[in-house]
Amino acid sequence: MKRGKLLFVIFMGLMVIPSLVLAQTPVKGGTLTWGRGGDSVTLDLAQATDGESIKGGIQVLENLVIFKKDSMDVEPQLATSWEVSKDGLVWTFKLRKGVKFHDGTPFNANAVKVSFDRVIDKNHPFYKYGTWRYPALGLGPVKEVKVIDEYTVTLRTEKPYAPLVANLALWLCPILSPAAIEKYKEDIGRNPVGTGPFKFVKWIKDDQIIVERNDDYWGQKSHLDRIILKSIPEVSARFMALQSGAVDIADDLDPDSIQMAKANPNFKIIERPSVNIGYLAMNTKKPILSNKLVRQAISHAIDKQTIINTIFRGLAIPALNPFPPSMWGYNFKIKDYEYNVQKAKDLLAKAGYPKGFDTELWAMPVSRAYMPEPVKTAELIQGYLATVGINAKIVRYEWGVYLDKTAKGEHDLCMLGWLGGNADPDNFLYGLLHSDNAKPPAANIAFWENAEFGKLVKEAQTIFGKEKRAPYYLKTQEIFHEEAPWVPLAHSTIVRIYNKKLHDVPLRPNGLNSFQMIWKEK
Amino acid sequence: MEKVEALVELKKNKTAMAGLILICFLLILALIGPWISPHPPLVPDPINRLKGPSWSHPFGTDSLGRDILSRVIYGSRISIIIGLIAVSISLVPGTILGLLSGFYGRKVDEPIMRGMDIMLAFPAILLAIFITAILGPSLLNTMIAVGIVYIPHYARIVRSSVLSLKEQLFVQAVRSLGGSNLRIIFLHIFPNTIPPIIVYATLGMGTAVLQAAALGFLGLGAQPPTPEWGAMLSEGRQYIQNAPHVAAFPGIAIFMLVLGFNLFGDGLRDILDPSLR
Repeated sequence: MKRGKLLFVIFMGLMVIPSLVLAQTPVKGGTLTWGRGGDSVTLDLAQATDGESIKGGIQVLENLVIFKKDSMDVEPQLATSWEVSKDGLVWTFKLRKGVKFHDGTPFNANAVKVSFDRVIDKNHPFYKYGTWRYPALGLGPVKEVKVIDEYTVTLRTEKPYAPLVANLALWLCPILSPAAIEKYKEDIGRNPVGTGPFKFVKWIKDDQIIVERNDDYWGQKSHLDRIILKSIPEVSARFMALQSGAVDIADDLDPDSIQMAKANPNFKIIERPSVNIGYLAMNTKKPILSNKLVRQAISHAIDKQTIINTIFRGLAIPALNPFPPSMWGYNFKIKDYEYNVQKAKDLLAKAGYPKGFDTELWAMPVSRAYMPEPVKTAELIQGYLATVGINAKIVRYEWGVYLDKTAKGEHDLCMLGWLGGNADPDNFLYGLLHSDNAKPPAANIAFWENAEFGKLVKEAQTIFGKEKRAPYYLKTQEIFHEEAPWVPLAHSTIVRIYNKKLHDVPLRPNGLNSFQMIWKEK
Repeated sequence: MEKVEALVELKKNKTAMAGLILICFLLILALIGPWISPHPPLVPDPINRLKGPSWSHPFGTDSLGRDILSRVIYGSRISIIIGLIAVSISLVPGTILGLLSGFYGRKVDEPIMRGMDIMLAFPAILLAIFITAILGPSLLNTMIAVGIVYIPHYARIVRSSVLSLKEQLFVQAVRSLGGSNLRIIFLHIFPNTIPPIIVYATLGMGTAVLQAAALGFLGLGAQPPTPEWGAMLSEGRQYIQNAPHVAAFPGIAIFMLVLGFNLFGDGLRDILDPSLR
């Protein structure tokens, strides 16, 4: 009996081996259906601010440079090489030859100039066709784009600006067909024409976006015939669609579904630390919260580890600095405010609020990777604050209104987060905490203005070389810790759950995932 | 004499009694809630999250480890208060509008009733969502929204009774004795409209509780961490696959309360509506 079983196992094993070997060679063809939480806003990524837009646009559009697969260093994409002048002001890019846009327009220096000028030059005829977001993080520092010859272009900045090449790899700096921009005008976001491995085909609002393989792609052509990006807003419905096979990938599942998916042999799971942060900002312009001792007390009152265990189900690490430890420049010497109710109470008493105070706690209405269940997180924080006598009322608004009102500084405490696309500390420190950004509409929603912090961040922008910039950032993190304008909560782990028939599925920490290499077993 | 008769009738009516018992049970639960609930309803206990029913947590715990039994008990207070206040909000203006509209006819009737018709033309929940969207999400605004939505129903019922009442002999008698219009409306006609109002208000309590729960489910009602049944149900939906108890118990509670009001309301109608005898 036993021997029979053994033989059977060996036999089955022999049967399986050929199929395993076969499975490793990419199969051409097939449709990938990708279930996600919402529709894109625009596919012209120079106008995009949200992850759902990026997911679609990045399949179709390409940049001059791209982040390497496994690191935050950049490598050539539409540019083949680049160099910076001695004074650090002029960047020269050599462009790839023989590349065509999906509409047949040749890619050249003029295409780069048009794609960039429409964003940075208010007098450019195409400037009015878009709302250019986050310029400070993208092309903002670029003052002039010059065509040198057909395949050479230079970018000039006013001051030396070290993060420029990393900025160019961000979704914010795509190269689009100049002919298409002229043709579609304001509607370019609904009809993107780039050079990427997939061509845009169709967009049914709030339902799906379809892209197809670009057979004339300059590089490695994609294996898939087609990708359908399908919006399924309800988390449980999205997970069910994955279970039934209606979608091949389901994004942004809640931690409990992830636990269930892990137990299911039909799914594959990738986990990766992200370059994000979820935080609780304390509006330092409000009288009580302007007191550093109060902010430190709140920092001591919140048990991050329990929030991570409960809300993130362990798929996160506690945050103590404004950006995650996977990025360079992280200050490992800083010790977090430990969870200590007595210390919090003592600090409150010292600040003159021995009995606590009343405040408002604004909770995000939507879940994000950095804050998967904001309202529940708010309820937990509310509970922690109550134990030290702080009576926080939870306030909710619709997402657009929430962003608007927090940018105006109407809140006391509010929750928000950030995904730092280019993984440069400047992206977090300047963008979210510098006094330049503390005026409504503010990105620095703690409205924290610290002269020394600000000076260090600005200086670091003008220096080249990570090693030289890092000491500035180490110091700024000390100031941030001492002043506590935020309670940094968590750096979440991002998770990709997909059907095991898919291979070579990417999951990049910065959210910029081209599906060029994916292939699907028949 | 009449009252005693009605009580006797009530005792005989099994449906009404079943409803009454359900309501009384939940009412008592609401009243003594703070003394009998095993745990504080608002304090999270994250380590014990999503635990199934057990001796220490008979209804299990929710996603933040709060005791669901305690939350359901506290929720009964909220739902009953919502029912009472929302019904009062629709009852008072609805009755007054119905009285005036029915009594004065034409010139008063037309504008009031056409206004009511417009409100009735909206699906109730849509109108309630619209009102909470304007007022902002909160428990009080839920009650106001649900209350406003049902004003036309009361106005119509009262108006139709007034229309038949005002032709009756006793009204003409008062009038010939020199009674003013207001006196006739409020002292002579109004008391006779009370039975149908009571029936409708009782049934309306059930509807109001359901509507408020629906708004809570959509996130437009009570704000967290308030243990409102609709909001609890909505939260539980997310865990329906691995922790169904989170949604089940608030759902059962809503069901019981609404069933109670409906049974009682139906029974009352049998007793108070002479045409059904």
